[in-house]
Amino acid sequence: MGLPIAVLIVMFPSILFPSPNRLINNRLISIQQWLIQLTSKQMLMIHNQKGRTWALMLMSLIMFIGSTNLLGLLPHSFTPTTQLSMNLGMAIPLWAGTVITGFRHKTKASLAHFLPQGTPLPLIPMLVIIETISLFIQPMALAVRLTANITAGHLLIHLIGGATLALINISATTALITFTILVLLTILEFAVALIQAYVFTLLVSLYLHDNT
Amino acid sequence: MASSVPVKEKKLMEVKLGELPGWIQMRDFTPKGIAGTSQRVYYRYYNKYINVKKGGVVGISMVQAANVLFNYCRPYKELKHERLRKYH
Repeated sequence: MGLPIAVLIVMFPSILFPSPNRLINNRLISIQQWLIQLTSKQMLMIHNQKGRTWALMLMSLIMFIGSTNLLGLLPHSFTPTTQLSMNLGMAIPLWAGTVITGFRHKTKASLAHFLPQGTPLPLIPMLVIIETISLFIQPMALAVRLTANITAGHLLIHLIGGATLALINISATTALITFTILVLLTILEFAVALIQAYVFTLLVSLYLHDNT
Repeated sequence: MASSVPVKEKKLMEVKLGELPGWIQMRDFTPKGIAGTSQRVYYRYYNKYINVKKGGVVGISMVQAANVLFNYCRPYKELKHERLRKYH
């Protein structure tokens, strides 16, 4: 019973972003257009002509992760980005895309990334191994970072909310303190939701910059 | 309580509560029918609440409220036991 509803829930944020039809649209679309223009200018400044072909991918990535994380802060909702499977599914193809682009177009330069400049001769084999490992860890780190941050935030909210409820009968002052902590935590979670989206996209774009 | 117009041709707001199961069964459940219904529902809501000159926060708030309600009904069987009642 869970599987078809999960598909609906993953597709739900796309309903909240209608496509602009006219020159001057309604307020929702105008706000979203302004935000997307702001973000895309910021994010695509560092790329050259070749990297800017990834603009659509990066923008849809940040909109999807941001909206999914923010929707997960509503009570009882299900956040797809807490599932490691989905984050791996996003991170691995994107990272592999940047690496393969680098190999195809600038083979020598992307292989040269494995060895920082000016290393002493005896250290070279070890350093190449370390750089390879750090390259292959990049998609794992992307996925696990997003999963862990969102899951930890949701968990904290659940636990502290439950503690506040349980403390009301025992001691009202402690419940009030716990409630203040809960309010601050929720504000943090809003920030974290957006920041995680930004970080994911920024890192993908950084890997892209190295390889174009 | 027989209706003068056959049930199939009535719109949803005009179907009486007792006839609702019969009305739902007579709808068009082919993919084309479902697509048509979803499009109609979406555009009716969109053009009434969001695509207006001075839309407010009401348009998306109602969608979010429905979202929360839907996600509450999903694990209702497990949530029932966590209510603050003396006898569950």
